[in-house]
Amino acid sequence: MSTSAKLPARRGLRPAHFVFLAWALLLAAMPFLADNYFVRLATFVAMYSALALSWNFIGGYTGYPSFATAAFVGLGSYTGAVLQNAGAPMVVAWVCATLFTGLVAALIGAAILRMKGHYFAVGSITLIEVLHQVASLWSSVTGGGEGLNVPILAGGPDFAGRVFLYAMLVTMLLVWAVTLWVDRSKLGFGLRCISQNEDAADMVGIQVNRYKTAAFTLSALFCGTVGAIYASWVSYISPSDAFSVLLTLKVPAMAMLGGLGTVYGPIVGAAAFVLMEETIWAHFLDYNQAILGVVIVLLILFLPGGFLKIDYRRLWRRPLPVRPAASVTAGGEKGDKAEKAAAPLATFAREGRS
Amino acid sequence: MRLKHLLSALALGTLAIAAHAQNTIKIGAPLALTGSLADEAKKQQVAYAMWRDRVNAAGGINVGGTKMKVELVESDYQSNAQRAQQMAEKMISQDKVDFMTSPFGSGHTKVVAGVAERYGVPVVAPSASSESVFDQGYKYLFGTLAPNGGLVQTMTKLFTQQMPNVKTVAILGREDVFPKSMAVSMQEAAKAAGLTIVHDELYPVGNLDFSASMSKIKAAKPDWIYVTGYDKDLILARKQMADLGVTAPIVTMVTGPAYPEFINNLGKLADNVTSVTWWHQATPYTADDVFGSTKAFHDEYLSRAKAEPDYVGASSAAALVALQKAIEKAGTLDKAKVRDALAALDITTFYGPIKFGANGMNAGRELPVIQVQSGKVVLLYPEAIKQAELKSFN
Amino acid sequence: METYIQIIANGLMLGALYACIAVGFSLVWGVLNVINMLHGSFIVLGGYLAFFAWAQLGVSPFVMLFVVAAALFLLGFLIQYGAINRVVSKPVLLTLTLTFGLDLILYNFMNVVFEATPRRITLDLGSLGIGEVMLPYDRLLAMLLALAMTGILYWVLRSSRIGRAIVAVRMDRDAAALMGIRVNKVYAITFGISAMMAGACGALMAVVYPITTNTTGLLLGKAFTICVIGGLGSVPGALVGGLALGLIESFAGTWLGAQYAILIGSLLMLTLLMVRPTGLIGKRGYE
Repeated sequence: MSTSAKLPARRGLRPAHFVFLAWALLLAAMPFLADNYFVRLATFVAMYSALALSWNFIGGYTGYPSFATAAFVGLGSYTGAVLQNAGAPMVVAWVCATLFTGLVAALIGAAILRMKGHYFAVGSITLIEVLHQVASLWSSVTGGGEGLNVPILAGGPDFAGRVFLYAMLVTMLLVWAVTLWVDRSKLGFGLRCISQNEDAADMVGIQVNRYKTAAFTLSALFCGTVGAIYASWVSYISPSDAFSVLLTLKVPAMAMLGGLGTVYGPIVGAAAFVLMEETIWAHFLDYNQAILGVVIVLLILFLPGGFLKIDYRRLWRRPLPVRPAASVTAGGEKGDKAEKAAAPLATFAREGRS
Repeated sequence: MRLKHLLSALALGTLAIAAHAQNTIKIGAPLALTGSLADEAKKQQVAYAMWRDRVNAAGGINVGGTKMKVELVESDYQSNAQRAQQMAEKMISQDKVDFMTSPFGSGHTKVVAGVAERYGVPVVAPSASSESVFDQGYKYLFGTLAPNGGLVQTMTKLFTQQMPNVKTVAILGREDVFPKSMAVSMQEAAKAAGLTIVHDELYPVGNLDFSASMSKIKAAKPDWIYVTGYDKDLILARKQMADLGVTAPIVTMVTGPAYPEFINNLGKLADNVTSVTWWHQATPYTADDVFGSTKAFHDEYLSRAKAEPDYVGASSAAALVALQKAIEKAGTLDKAKVRDALAALDITTFYGPIKFGANGMNAGRELPVIQVQSGKVVLLYPEAIKQAELKSFN
Repeated sequence: METYIQIIANGLMLGALYACIAVGFSLVWGVLNVINMLHGSFIVLGGYLAFFAWAQLGVSPFVMLFVVAAALFLLGFLIQYGAINRVVSKPVLLTLTLTFGLDLILYNFMNVVFEATPRRITLDLGSLGIGEVMLPYDRLLAMLLALAMTGILYWVLRSSRIGRAIVAVRMDRDAAALMGIRVNKVYAITFGISAMMAGACGALMAVVYPITTNTTGLLLGKAFTICVIGGLGSVPGALVGGLALGLIESFAGTWLGAQYAILIGSLLMLTLLMVRPTGLIGKRGYE
């Protein structure tokens, strides 16, 4: 991680905000510009942006490798679907699903955030499996393996397309606003400190547990919203689709593609990922997964910091000058020299786990 | 807003021209070429291609006097519901498909039908048999498989007639749309036939071990062991039955022997396992469709796929045959008219009779009850074409 | 009484298979600190190789086991040397995502080449019956393999030159590098050994289970659970964890029903992660 990420972001208006708002407007204008397939694509871009931004609270800012996204999306979609089937109006169901997911996350978070590193990663994946099994077992409420039908929204494909696009867009803007706030607040600062060195953060008086739980809850809250909207959109959910491990792995990959712990990284990453996947998928019938795999591999090997961490200005001028820090560190690969010199944490983390 | 109307009017204009100049019929075919359903999708793909090639070789489909060639718009939805739905939207609004087939399985059929219904695009589903798919009031969804309930009743009647000593049954079902529905149908059929259910259990998707369930069934000493699931589950279940010495006069596995993989992967262990299915190559039909006869379909499928066809392949081809007949009858590509023609269809195909009921499902008919005998699948029912008598499993 | 013996026997034999699945996974986790998402696909690849050797050439899977193991060692070595080594010291998020990407490639490749149709080697060896209790021979063999793999690995790590190097790297990568150990090569060999064990396990599993690409995720999930229960990165831990999970699932399956067996396993895993993250056997497996 580069040093700039550790400092609180600058205040005030930045050109990036305008670019983002223009992007959101473009997505919002999609029903007037293109056919329903593009409307759906825009909806997916907004949905994954919201998920990647959510994940960024815990995975990016706090540095906890969470793979619980699908658990909360699934929980949200089941809560929303059950409520809608019980007669709750659609939007009410969405709001309740959001709050319920947040509440569950706060309770779970308090427990599983005691783990670190690999343990946390595995624990968060296990959450998906547990909720998946509960959803299949509790047939009287969830319909078990047969899944749950949600009433189709009346009004034809154009109307439905718009409703769900705007719902996802609003969710994306909400998460974005919260991200901006966190980025500038004491919470964001605290989370970055935890990401750097949890023990040190504790010593300087940051209430580590409360901060982590807050980040985890924030990361789950809007997953719940997205899940509930998604359930109304597809009008049918089943345990294996709602609690998808693939989704849980895709979302962090998106955030990484853009840049971890930044406000706009996850948005750039989600948009790039969805569009890339769409192009690959449309052109390679039998090999789409392999190509996606190749893209991920290349990304990790050659662009581990994501798009937003590339120093574009420097690229314009001349080849990268050798940083002084790099020449003193002995051993290791090119990529992690700077990291090692910049962050004693890396060493700390290794000691901590052996 | 004005501008938008103008744009859409323009778009409609171009569309009208395009439609006028259209000389192929586009059929959207969502396939799970990767992911957990990949093996089923491969069968669908082969059957679709067989139908397309035969239709096009004959000059195309006769639409009100003009022969129109057929184009299949295929796409991989990775066995993922979200993608299936997205793909349906893409096929309808971008590729402008006229009609669609549905993906494998009840769950994903539901998702695709939900999208198509909004647009009024007729969908013929080749492999959805659970009534929960068809009870949503969709007008544009049709399915070539008969309801699950009919399958189980046919079989229960036959077995209790031929083996009157069978009094108890153990049911083990997979917690999944189709297999669970088959397990529930069995509970009802067993009660109706006066059988006592001595063991009733569901196992989760992704189960890797049946030893606990089989040990319990062994202790319950049932006369009839009935297991539902897909090939991977059932192969393992049968293997572990042998490992643990579990046996009964009748052992039924659904889908089980309906898939050639079942016998290929079990060898001798597959012997005397019974099942019921929607189609079997041994049911001979002759018809005036592109295939002409069951045997012609079977032989071409075998040479193309290097494997015996099962109900998935046959039903997939039959779905397209039904669509073709409906288009020819309607004499137009108008979606609502073709939908009405589908609803009124009453034909015999290489696959058997097709007549969609009020909910869109193919009406139940004489469904084949089968048994593996000496490594081969033989027909026990329908009576008129049966090849062997029911043999005891143990 | 006999039912209880049968439940325990079922659990132990299932557990032995589980241990086979997990030993290699645990090794990579312990030494490289990498969560290897490829592991499930390695097992399935091993199964396919054994199946085709048996179906086309008539080679017995028990012979093929060694060939498959060698082939997968090579594959694992190359993957680690060429790709994973470049990011091996990065945070878990990066290494995990990298192996996930590699898994997508391998998975897609297998799907195209072998197709997803389930395939099983139909060598039915029968069962050893002691009274009412039945012990299938193939599962007994799996048990033997699990014990042999664990034992050999344990011995290699303690006594051989490369084993000492692996242990040294595991304890302190930087110090080991300073002592002249070529860390990247040790990593590649470790990863190769892990893939080798996955391949051997796959070859054996092809006799018991139908092999299909659909099971890659399931097998990986089991490996996770077993490693957590037994203790991360500990070789005897994988054996203990596998047997423990097998017994738990067997009892839960008998008393509560098959549906609860998996749920109970997952819940136990979460609880252990929180209460005793070192698993049933502590982390000191390699010393």
